Amino acid sequence: MKKATVIFCIVFAITLGLSGAVMAKGSVKVGIVLPTTGSLAKFGEIERDAFLMAQEEINAAGGINGLKLELLIEDTTGRPEVGRSVVEKLITKDKVVMIGGGYSSSVTYATAGVCQQNNMPFLVNTGSADKITTSGWTWIYRLNPPVSKYASAVESLLTQVIKPKTVAILHENSLFGTKGAKKFDKTCKKLGFKVVLKEGYEHGGIDFKPVLTRVKQKNPDIVYMISYIMDASLLMKQAKELKLTPKMFIGGAAGFTMPEFKENAGVASNYVISATLWHQVLPFPGAMEFYKKFKARFNKSVDYHGAEAYAACYVIADVLKRAKSFKNTDIKAALDATDMMTVFGPVKFTTWGKMKNQNKAATYVVQWIDGKLELVWPKEHATKQFQYPIDWLKVWGY
Amino acid sequence: MDVFIQTIVSGILIGGIYSMIGIGMTLIMGVMGIINLAHGQLMMVAMYITFVMAHFFHVDPYLSLLVAMPALFLLGAFIQKTLLNPLIKVESILPENQVLMTVGIGMVLTEIARFIFSSDYKTVKTSYSSSAIFIGKISFNVPMCIAFGFALFFTALLFWFLLKTDLGRSIRATAQDSEAATLMGINSSRITVITFGIGSALVAAAGVLLMPIFYLFPDIGGAFTLKAFVITILGGLGSTVGAIVGGIVLGVAESLGATYIGMGYKEMVGFVIFVLVLIFLPGGLKRLTKI
Amino acid sequence: MQKKTIFWGVLAVVALAFPLVIRSPYYQHLVIISLMWVIIGSSWNLLAGYTGQVSFGHAIFFGVGAYTAGLFPIHLGLSAWWGMLTGGIVSMLVALFVGWVCFRLRGPYFALATLAGGEIVRLIATNWESLTEGMVGILIIQTFKSKLPYYYIVLVLAVACILVIERIMKSKWGYYFVSIREDQDAAESMGINTTLYKNISLLVSAFFTGMAGAFYMNYMAFIDPEVVFSLHFISIMAILVGIVGGVATIWGPAVGAFIMVGLQETFRSSFFGLAPKWISQAHALAFGLLVIFVIMYLPNGIVGDWATIKRLVFRTRRTAG
Repeated sequence: MKKATVIFCIVFAITLGLSGAVMAKGSVKVGIVLPTTGSLAKFGEIERDAFLMAQEEINAAGGINGLKLELLIEDTTGRPEVGRSVVEKLITKDKVVMIGGGYSSSVTYATAGVCQQNNMPFLVNTGSADKITTSGWTWIYRLNPPVSKYASAVESLLTQVIKPKTVAILHENSLFGTKGAKKFDKTCKKLGFKVVLKEGYEHGGIDFKPVLTRVKQKNPDIVYMISYIMDASLLMKQAKELKLTPKMFIGGAAGFTMPEFKENAGVASNYVISATLWHQVLPFPGAMEFYKKFKARFNKSVDYHGAEAYAACYVIADVLKRAKSFKNTDIKAALDATDMMTVFGPVKFTTWGKMKNQNKAATYVVQWIDGKLELVWPKEHATKQFQYPIDWLKVWGY
Repeated sequence: MDVFIQTIVSGILIGGIYSMIGIGMTLIMGVMGIINLAHGQLMMVAMYITFVMAHFFHVDPYLSLLVAMPALFLLGAFIQKTLLNPLIKVESILPENQVLMTVGIGMVLTEIARFIFSSDYKTVKTSYSSSAIFIGKISFNVPMCIAFGFALFFTALLFWFLLKTDLGRSIRATAQDSEAATLMGINSSRITVITFGIGSALVAAAGVLLMPIFYLFPDIGGAFTLKAFVITILGGLGSTVGAIVGGIVLGVAESLGATYIGMGYKEMVGFVIFVLVLIFLPGGLKRLTKI
Repeated sequence: MQKKTIFWGVLAVVALAFPLVIRSPYYQHLVIISLMWVIIGSSWNLLAGYTGQVSFGHAIFFGVGAYTAGLFPIHLGLSAWWGMLTGGIVSMLVALFVGWVCFRLRGPYFALATLAGGEIVRLIATNWESLTEGMVGILIIQTFKSKLPYYYIVLVLAVACILVIERIMKSKWGYYFVSIREDQDAAESMGINTTLYKNISLLVSAFFTGMAGAFYMNYMAFIDPEVVFSLHFISIMAILVGIVGGVATIWGPAVGAFIMVGLQETFRSSFFGLAPKWISQAHALAFGLLVIFVIMYLPNGIVGDWATIKRLVFRTRRTAG
């Protein structure tokens, strides 16, 4: 009798679990993988909100040829191995037709492997390691530029305006930071700038003064930093404390464009420039409206991360509308044929250099001027004149 | 030369805060002989108290010491009384049950913080957060200097308490030989409760002092728990002077490592020292200084 | 006796037939991960539960095993399956060094030293980019698309691990291990070479943990230092698996592994989508509360205190009926 009860319980539990897999009718399911908990949750939440906003708009406008677009947003917790099992679950249990999202290089890289193996179309919108589109994978498409191209607008600014002789590079020890620093190091050598110091650090340190002191001793013309928000603010605050005054401080996207950077670094954030992938003033249809709508709804300003997610959702909808059926090969064909305009700019997946299915997106330079993130480069889109040269000690109130 | 001096100065200043974290740990380890794996998490709680005080009531972080320290004393005493002391009576195979219990407590504290405050980074901004005084070319961060001063003050206070008061003497007696102390009429379970409370209050002070300089998120504790171990082992169990010296040695070693070996290896310096001390100087600096 | 044979027979059939009956790769994946944790938990238990040397650094052996496997494809162009032969052995070599350093210390000091060791190895793997690729990690393409081969490989490993540990514990070695745990000085005075037997226990433990690491590399096909050398998600998880299931019992870690992996996934997926989304945030909280509960009321774990549980359940049933 007791045994029977136990067996019944097991069977019941299994059927309960399996019943979750029953598909809802009248909708098309797309899996979105984002870190909504864990240390990267900040970025994941922004992208989730942008995805949900786009989903609502798309469904209000008729959905996917009459079917509802259903986004299954799954939490990767920012860990690659969790990301892999999440994707596996989306493919095998939820039977999604394609996958989107992908924040942080390492998680995206690891999950893209699963998608490639399962012939599952995956539209990456933020994960930026070059490897994601240079591994020869055919099922992986990327909306955002690879990390090696993040600094291309900065490059032209450097060669045309600042013309530095010496460069110091600081980066966090992550896939994004290490690769970005390596690439920038190469670029500097190519352009004839001398790299006097290149140093990685563990995320989450309190005291960056030892390394900043060394930077100060080398007296470089520019300091290039690839950091997430809190490290970015501490680096600038401590540079201020040490009176470290290069010609320019440059951030390599990520932390330096977030509103939190300004809030935490305070006066030390003034006139710092950063590479970025998007700005609301860019002449893309809907960019400004998206920015305003997001701000009104979530009461926070949105940077390139949100724009990428929002645009990705529209690309996904467009692809699914055009696809002959929801079979993976048909979706792939539709992805290949993508040629559309989004808030993030034109989107088209092509093969160039070592890259496969990579969208060519432009990059820009922004500068914190009077507490606002202004687009300063390239000149034709600029909202404010690029502030240079700068008397840092005066800016910092010494 | 400036690089070297600046490195040493930064190391000593950060060492002051490390010492504060270490003192609480060394006291708990010395008296109860258990590793408190929730030490950093207790600090995190204190930091959130400071954050709430500053953010909602606009109280200066340093004034929050008056709230955070008593609050953490009570929390620490509560943990010891209701969760750790009862374990002594529970029969189990592993003697490390109390240690494993602190792992669970740490997880619960972290997750409760995440529930209330989310994973967002929080900071307390003050007008003096990144102000610095210059002596020659060397920069001294003001909040770090203040923290250093507080660290010295609290150590002196603790030292006086342990040497001159009855309660302090009872704590030292329990640390030396808890059975003998019990025979002498000391209520050792009460002593452990008080000690855990004092240890928690001290790490709370460290958290409050760190707040103007650093930032805060629920997972911040773990890294500091590890630092506290290194300091405790370096200084010797139960040695307050050892903890101060250990904290400063760790701060300076990390700074030197960051400057001359590489920023990426900074954390490793501490662990290497830790293992070296465990092997070559078991008992820590206490063995050299005898206090 | 009869009853026991039937029980084991049924268990064997269930284990062998499981992936043929439950075809969903998602559930197969969960069981594969659980079996991997059975190996790690049982290995940890041999060293901590039976020999009394509580390790907070089993990620060292797991990570070294995983990296041994991962280095074959990136440096030698060979399959990562070579790691299944060598991962355990390389882990044992590392364990020799770890033992040489850490066995000078006792009790909490040993625990701390292993904890520091884990962090040191993680930082080395992060910074030594020419060997390990650093934070880029190692990604391979899985050999099999189906989960069946992985399932049977890990099943064989888990069964082998449990059988070996059971054999050891029934032998003279097992007796020495327990006597070291109970009273190291007494064991020493009885002429037991405690250092030798602690090292034997550590080596066996490291071997199986390393094998689990090598399996992880082959199965998950991606590793980076923060994944495989994680203090929280490997070292501490190994301890949780051990104590929840029951230290110093053969089947405790096995039960603990299934409970912990199941619980983790249940919470992460908000009870398979049945509960509100915020529940998924609570999985670590549930872990913490479970640990506190188990230590307070079931200090020897679910298997170790099975008699107590049974008695309590029966009593409540009787009063209810």
